[in-house]
Amino acid sequence: MLVYGFINSIILALIALGFSMTFGISRVANFAHGSLYVLGGLLTWFFLIKAGLPYVISVIAAVMIVGVLGAAMYRFLLVRLRGLELAEVISTFALGLIILELMRSMGIMGFQYRLPPFVPGSVSIMGTYVGIQRLIIVGAGLFLMGIIYLFVHHTRLGLAFRGVAQDDHTALTVGINPDRISMLSLMVGSMLVSLSAVLILPLGTISVDDGYDILLKSLAVCIIGGLESTFGVLAAAFILGYAEVLTSMYISSSLSMVVPLLCMLVILLIKPSGLFGKHKELEERI
Amino acid sequence: MKEKRRRERIDRPIKAVTDDIYCISSFREIVYLMLPRALPILLLLLAVFFVPLYWKKVLVITFIMAIMAISWDFLASCGLISLGQALFFAVGAYISGGLNHYLGLPIYVTVPMATLMGGAISAILILPALRLRGMYFSMVTLIIPLMLMRIIEATKIMGGTEGMSGLSSLPGLPFSIAVSVLALFAALFGLRRLLSSDNGMIFLALKDNDRAVEASGLNTLWLKVKAIYIGSALCAFCGAFMTHYYMSVGLSAFALDLSIFPIASCVLGGVGTLAGPLLGAVILGPLSEALRSLGTFRIVIYSALLVIFIAGLPEGIFPFLKRKYEQTERWV
Amino acid sequence: MRRRMSLSVAVCLFGFLALSPAVSFSAEQPIVIGVPSSLKMLESSEALKAIIMAAEEINAKGGVKLGGTNRPLKVASIDTRGGEPGVPISDALLAIEKLFLEQKPDAVVLGPFRSEVLLAAMDLYSKYKMVSINVAMTPKFIEKYNTDPEKYKYCFRMLNAKYVVGYLMKTMSKLNKDYGFNKVYIVVQDVLWATAIGNGMKGWFEKSGWQVAGMDAYPTGASDFSSSLLKAQKAGAQVLMPIFDMASSGTLALQWKDMRVPAVPVGFISPLMGSKSAETFGNDVVEGVVNIAFQAGNVPLAKYPPATDFFNAYKKRWGQELQAGHMPSEAYDSVFVMAGAMEKANSLDPEKLIKAIEEADYNGSIGRIRFKNHEIVFGEDPAETAILVVYQWKNGKRVPVFPDIVAEGPIDKPNWMK
Repeated sequence: MLVYGFINSIILALIALGFSMTFGISRVANFAHGSLYVLGGLLTWFFLIKAGLPYVISVIAAVMIVGVLGAAMYRFLLVRLRGLELAEVISTFALGLIILELMRSMGIMGFQYRLPPFVPGSVSIMGTYVGIQRLIIVGAGLFLMGIIYLFVHHTRLGLAFRGVAQDDHTALTVGINPDRISMLSLMVGSMLVSLSAVLILPLGTISVDDGYDILLKSLAVCIIGGLESTFGVLAAAFILGYAEVLTSMYISSSLSMVVPLLCMLVILLIKPSGLFGKHKELEERI
Repeated sequence: MKEKRRRERIDRPIKAVTDDIYCISSFREIVYLMLPRALPILLLLLAVFFVPLYWKKVLVITFIMAIMAISWDFLASCGLISLGQALFFAVGAYISGGLNHYLGLPIYVTVPMATLMGGAISAILILPALRLRGMYFSMVTLIIPLMLMRIIEATKIMGGTEGMSGLSSLPGLPFSIAVSVLALFAALFGLRRLLSSDNGMIFLALKDNDRAVEASGLNTLWLKVKAIYIGSALCAFCGAFMTHYYMSVGLSAFALDLSIFPIASCVLGGVGTLAGPLLGAVILGPLSEALRSLGTFRIVIYSALLVIFIAGLPEGIFPFLKRKYEQTERWV
Repeated sequence: MRRRMSLSVAVCLFGFLALSPAVSFSAEQPIVIGVPSSLKMLESSEALKAIIMAAEEINAKGGVKLGGTNRPLKVASIDTRGGEPGVPISDALLAIEKLFLEQKPDAVVLGPFRSEVLLAAMDLYSKYKMVSINVAMTPKFIEKYNTDPEKYKYCFRMLNAKYVVGYLMKTMSKLNKDYGFNKVYIVVQDVLWATAIGNGMKGWFEKSGWQVAGMDAYPTGASDFSSSLLKAQKAGAQVLMPIFDMASSGTLALQWKDMRVPAVPVGFISPLMGSKSAETFGNDVVEGVVNIAFQAGNVPLAKYPPATDFFNAYKKRWGQELQAGHMPSEAYDSVFVMAGAMEKANSLDPEKLIKAIEEADYNGSIGRIRFKNHEIVFGEDPAETAILVVYQWKNGKRVPVFPDIVAEGPIDKPNWMK
């Protein structure tokens, strides 16, 4: 049970990572996040099963396409709406709807959409059998988070990301183009989410309805952890992951969907910018 | 360097005249003032009489959705941007459904009760979040309906996943149309009047600078409670009406579509104008109906339209039309 | 990008045109069969295809004889989107009304299957006097019918969850008798029909000497089942009884395999239903799983030819095998029942039609169809009543194991249990 709580937490963190990255840097709450997740999974499925490409190539192709889509979304749409929070949210959400419902109307339904696991089989950890795919997810998740940490803190581009996140006007004065950086952040966020889709989807089947759930889960994680902190994402993912497992273990599994929402609500009411958020008290409430 | 030209906007002469008290001095000026107000009302009323039966039903639903859009716009004008208008709708729907199903009360009791109680209950539900500002408040409103939905699903109260059905129905289509049209105009003109009164000024100030309101010695929390009460009572009425219109209520009263539609019509019509959302709803409702034969694909078209409008005409249709009506443009 | 968009738009439009039923018109005015349902789901989209197929077959034979003339059938469908999340009930009902008012169907088959929508639609059926044969599973259907049989006489149904419980009971008794299994863990989807089956079974288990190690209900969309599986493992359950029709329940099967839970899944789990699931999930995952199809015909039966005929005809007409475990075959049969009733009543008048359906007696792909109290009667002999099929995955094939008349083998103990 502890093992599965851990795995679920990492899965949650992976899902939310892209969302938090995008929001942290460009302040764009990307409500198309869930759709990009499903799209990434489905593209991989298409390349792998329909076009018969090798796994690695289909993953790279899918991730690239979704990344470009994310960048295009910023370049052609969001750049006109900078600063209009509501318009950003609505337009990204509408874009997400377009992607999801387009897939649905093209006949993506049923249960045959499934990615095979990288390595089948399972091993025993602390007396519980765990599928190797889940272990890969944990490994890849931790690895990705490490990479992102290093990238943001120790590369030129990463530092530019942080610069824009802190204050885009000042960033502009030192020669960083905030629009370009925001576009890149959206691209990286989209790539991250499609990558997480490729990792996670072999655990089940791909269904269009997942898009909404994924968006909600990433929102939950990001709100609890603080909308811009990578460490907060990890911490919040652990809180949620264990809360869910514990509820379905000891209280009732039918409540397992209520728990994240409840956590979110409580956090919003007590400390709106999240456990590790850095907002000023006056900004968030009156 | 080549000089860039820009567009200059000037009020039309007639606008300048009619802004003043002399507006009644000529028939032309009266028409100029009355036309934009009377024409939509007349068109709507005419439409109600001359469309085929099925489209009458569509109109009823469009009117109800327009009320929700207007209510959203009112809340947004008070600085309370809600992403969960469905919550208020569902509260009203469940109250009237419950009263009718469990207590067997007739419609003319349940709908008014649901409207009044719905406003109060929604205000109480939202109360803890009212101190939050901006996006944080929006997030809370997004979450509460989702959570209530899951709670009803898990605890099986109020009919659980099956909902309550077989409720009493409204007496006939003409009655439904009359009620929805009257409610729509009452909401539109009532809120317009409210917002242009002194109290309305304070409501608007909540959005522009709530700290200034607080600093003026006014209780912002209480003001916001009042705003939420008015806005949610309107939605609760919509919920109660729809419950009886379709004789059933269920989990789908919390459906996301019900939260999105008002926002979409406001964005389309113009946020903060009250008449804009009505315009948006009257465009979007029948449009999505006309696309219905496309099945799921209509959501795609609908969303695409929304994106195009947000990017291309961010101010909305209503302010655009208003400007065209009242001002002339020229290059200088 | 734009090119791709327009291309996909074209593809979609073409898809809609292809789907919108093109049944040939003859000189006579066609009889319109309405199909209002949420059509972007696997089960219902296949059911719609089956309905179109049935109409084509009837038309090929000259249509429905009515008052001396032969009238062809025409299928008019509308996508209510009722099964999708985020769609308000009013929207689904409006779609149904649009169908009723604009296409003026003479009867309805399939119908909405989200319980909430069907229950509300029952009032619409009465309002428009629309005779309907429905497929939704909600136990409240009959409850509501019984509150006012006169008002809701327009509604018939091809399914009742209580028969699923009955079949599962008998399957379980077999397992108990053959292998001495007596410990079960129940996991169900948290919707009324599934929990009703779960609770029905739980009651029976407790009465008949089984030990119920636990019962968990998961909300639609849940994707982690480890806590139940762990509990099942700890309790030493030999049978895992899942009742799910959501997409993410595929995760349950995979997780069950990954965690090496030593219990046989016996129940209803839709991702493992279709003939392709062995390919999708891998042979080792589905091997030994016992699943229940809610009607014959969705699974071919060597010992009941009409079921196989339907299955093969579907494959021939649409170039793809059926994947759904419920709806297509019953929808197919309900068109024939409806057409037969029209001929018998020799009229489209709802009152006469209802009477004819009440007296209907038709041998279809799901067995012999007769209605009692406006619901179809299921039994175990296809010559007497309609049947469900319990089958087991063996070597990547679906082998019917119950009812005995159509069984092609016993229920095997999975290899890893021996």
